[in-house]
Amino acid sequence: MKSTIATIFAFLVAIGLLQSTYVIDQAEQAILVQFGEPVGDLVNTPGLHWKLPFIQDVRRFDKRIMSWDGDATQIPTLGREFVLVDTTARWRIIDPLKFLRSVRDEAGARTRLDDLVDSVARDIISGTNLEEIIRSKDWSVDVKALGEEGVSLAQVDLTKPKKGRAVLEKEMLAAASKLMPELGIELVDVRLKRINYIESVGRQVETRMISERQSIAERFRSEGQGKSSEILGQMERELRQIRSEAERKAAEVRGKADGEATKIYGETYGADPEFFAFLRTLESYQAMGANTTLVLDADSEFFRYLDSTRAR
Amino acid sequence: MSTPAERLAELLPFGPRASRGGGGSARTPLGGGGAKLPRGMLGAIIAGVVLLWLFFSSYYTVQPEGRAVVKRLGAVIAITDPGLHFKLPFGIDTVEFVATERVLKQEFGFRTLVTDGERSEYAQEDFPQESLMLSGDLNIIDVEWVVQYRISDPIKYLYGMRDPTRALRDISESVMRRVVGNRIGSEVLTTARVDIANLAQKEIQEAMSNYDVGIHVVTLQLQDVVPPKAVQPAFNEVNEARQERERMINEATKRLNQEIPKASGEANRLIAEAEGYATERVNQSLGETARFRSILAEYRSAPAVTRARMYIDTIQSILPNIGNVMVVKDGKTAPLPYFEMRRPRSTPVTETPK
Repeated sequence: MKSTIATIFAFLVAIGLLQSTYVIDQAEQAILVQFGEPVGDLVNTPGLHWKLPFIQDVRRFDKRIMSWDGDATQIPTLGREFVLVDTTARWRIIDPLKFLRSVRDEAGARTRLDDLVDSVARDIISGTNLEEIIRSKDWSVDVKALGEEGVSLAQVDLTKPKKGRAVLEKEMLAAASKLMPELGIELVDVRLKRINYIESVGRQVETRMISERQSIAERFRSEGQGKSSEILGQMERELRQIRSEAERKAAEVRGKADGEATKIYGETYGADPEFFAFLRTLESYQAMGANTTLVLDADSEFFRYLDSTRAR
Repeated sequence: MSTPAERLAELLPFGPRASRGGGGSARTPLGGGGAKLPRGMLGAIIAGVVLLWLFFSSYYTVQPEGRAVVKRLGAVIAITDPGLHFKLPFGIDTVEFVATERVLKQEFGFRTLVTDGERSEYAQEDFPQESLMLSGDLNIIDVEWVVQYRISDPIKYLYGMRDPTRALRDISESVMRRVVGNRIGSEVLTTARVDIANLAQKEIQEAMSNYDVGIHVVTLQLQDVVPPKAVQPAFNEVNEARQERERMINEATKRLNQEIPKASGEANRLIAEAEGYATERVNQSLGETARFRSILAEYRSAPAVTRARMYIDTIQSILPNIGNVMVVKDGKTAPLPYFEMRRPRSTPVTETPK
């Protein structure tokens, strides 16, 4: 009997001890709650701690940075393109007391973050052009450096963004952070995780990309034809140049020779032009052949003696 | 042994009393229902269970690839290296293992299913949500990449952030989209790959360092970077067109290379021929004039005789070859009955007198 009482007593002591201590993990901080009302200071050091048994309750909160990930929401940009925007944020509980009073627990906090960050994202995205959201402040595109495929970009607006993605993210963080102190929350960062076209717009963009590629392909082909014609034209020019130069040179050479020959003839035949004419004429008679009919005057030199034998 | 641990050990129901239970003097609350069991037997069972628990909860082994963070009642007290270690039992000391030496990886846009030593098997489906992104010229690009990282500080990794891996994934996606969004699509597909990988790695590391979660990004590798499936044929078409352009240029160049040397050769021939003509012409003139001079010299010594001789010689030599010879007497209207020199001719020929 005595041992039974001792056992029960020991059991009660054990329960009492369990009820009056609690362990705080390295990752945790805690607040004691007495009949629903927070009491005492924030318990921030990991280890074993005392509390009043039964009437005090421990509310634990994570000390670490936590991730928040929004749903992908469909938002129109300033240019009326519909995009799916997926935001992500990091947050931590910096004031557990306020946190406990305003949102109670993490699930409550997430709901508030859903509302807040989503609405901030909506505000900023819908007031900004898509280019601004996609590009960043250090945007520098040199169309010339892009080479042959860059030409097709002529129709795309390649201006540097006024703010750019990183700045917009900072603005989102600043806007969303305004209400955070009341919740005992610190937002570490807000980031745009994914931005994609909605499906129907995506298909249109793909069609545009296809036609863009096709125009580049077309340009390559006509460039090929152009270059080919250019080369052939150049060839034609060179051919004509080579040929005409050769002809000119040949004519010069021939002309010079003709001139020289004429000079030689002139100098030599000039010594006795009458005899030259006589000689050359006689020589040229040699060309007459069987098809020639020669009409001679009976008074000609050749018949002189023929005649004189008759009557002269 | 620390005091809180002692206290806890005492308040545990199977604490030091359990060992006395073997003595059979105490009747434990658990034993209340089993009154039919002999007391000694019950005590022995409880003692055995407690001993086993004591045994199995007082040591742990750290694998070579990692380290262990030891917590005593929630507070970190040590980081231990690989090997066998002892700790306080019954959950007073708890251990968390962190693979600090292993290079871990996160895949974006694809998943490796199994890797045996030789080849990896990849999941069939894609993860377009992760890999589709917009380039700076508002085109869609499918980028797959891998982030390899190491846990450089186990305590920061465990207690700086809840689920740092998820943050790493979120940040990787965000950073990759920023970097790709800051480039022209065709650049991303071709020349900018290395730059993008380096810049993204740097920015992810910066973000991780800001969170101070003890993650070191070892490397970031871009895998497949391709246009969306529907657009790929058009990209191939561009490549084909580029080939075609090269082909046309090559063909034209080939013709150029054929024609020009040929024409040059022909030109040289033309010039050579002209030169030949020139030489011939000059020589001819020299020869003819030399002959003339010789004849002239002789002629001058006896002009009248030579003249007559030459004239008669010529007439004599040509007359036999001439078809018809007509002799016309001055003042006559019709040609005379002609003096047939050689042979009759069937057709009368009318010629004007000279």
